[in-house]
Amino acid sequence: MIVVTGSSRGLGLAICERLQSLELDVFGLARNVSNATFPSMSCDVSSYEEVKKVALAIKKDGKKISGLVNAAGIASMNLAVTTPPNISKNIIETNLLGTIFCSQLIAPLMMRNKHGSIINFSTIAVSLGLKGESVYAASKAGVEGFTRSFAREMADFNINVNCIAPGPIDTSLLNGITPKQIHNIVAQQIIPKQFCPDDICDLVELLFDDRSKSLSGQLLQVGGA
Amino acid sequence: MNIKDGVFQIISNGIDDKDFKVTDSTPLIGDSSVLDSMKLVELCLALEDFAEEKGFEFDWISSQAMSRSRSMFKTAGSLATEFIHQMGVKK
Repeated sequence: MIVVTGSSRGLGLAICERLQSLELDVFGLARNVSNATFPSMSCDVSSYEEVKKVALAIKKDGKKISGLVNAAGIASMNLAVTTPPNISKNIIETNLLGTIFCSQLIAPLMMRNKHGSIINFSTIAVSLGLKGESVYAASKAGVEGFTRSFAREMADFNINVNCIAPGPIDTSLLNGITPKQIHNIVAQQIIPKQFCPDDICDLVELLFDDRSKSLSGQLLQVGGA
Repeated sequence: MNIKDGVFQIISNGIDDKDFKVTDSTPLIGDSSVLDSMKLVELCLALEDFAEEKGFEFDWISSQAMSRSRSMFKTAGSLATEFIHQMGVKK
């Protein structure tokens, strides 16, 4: 079974649907799971206690966990000097601490089987140093650093940890960004084209395939940066 | 087998030298540790299972986990003491 956070919308939902189409068992985590069409549990990933409850429930259920996708994330486009402290805190807690909490509490379920793959999410905004995304980029730069070190800690247990860094993908995370702004970001990618959720799902599929077993601690930049 | 012996047995299971006798002062972290980091994590998972058998949840996450002076993993004895303490508090 693969645990996917942020499963109620955007990339998380697209990934769940792709994994289901491959007949893989999916377990979704999101704050609101009332419309979920696959097994899910309500969870705010920024709450250590809530994630711990999920890990205990999965362990009690006896399901074998083979993967974790940390897709839960929030964004807020703003200049650092005009970002309210509660927004900065919320971004760091959801994007960075959420990834850390889920990894440290779900990974032991995979360590028992000495097999698994963990996929984290960053953003191309880290490499490009995009204006107006300082706090968001800081939270995701943390995810990249965590990925590299955690990959070494997990290597002993045959668990690969990698990170996908998409450019502007057409999801609700882009609400409030104008087509011109999107064009300007995409123009800075090595492949100057806007990619779609399906392209991200392809990479997720690749990282869950045994043929990618030599990859760990890596950052896959969608579109290139 | 009492709880302390049970904890020592689980520690022994992770040591390659099967003739090695685990005592209260056997170090579990630091340069002279009998376990590497992988074995230490495996020990935690095994203790989690042992605690489940005994009807409580063993919490091995600690801000001092790798501290040579205050860690519960400092020695086999300190780990057994912490395990028994958590069993008493949580049961």
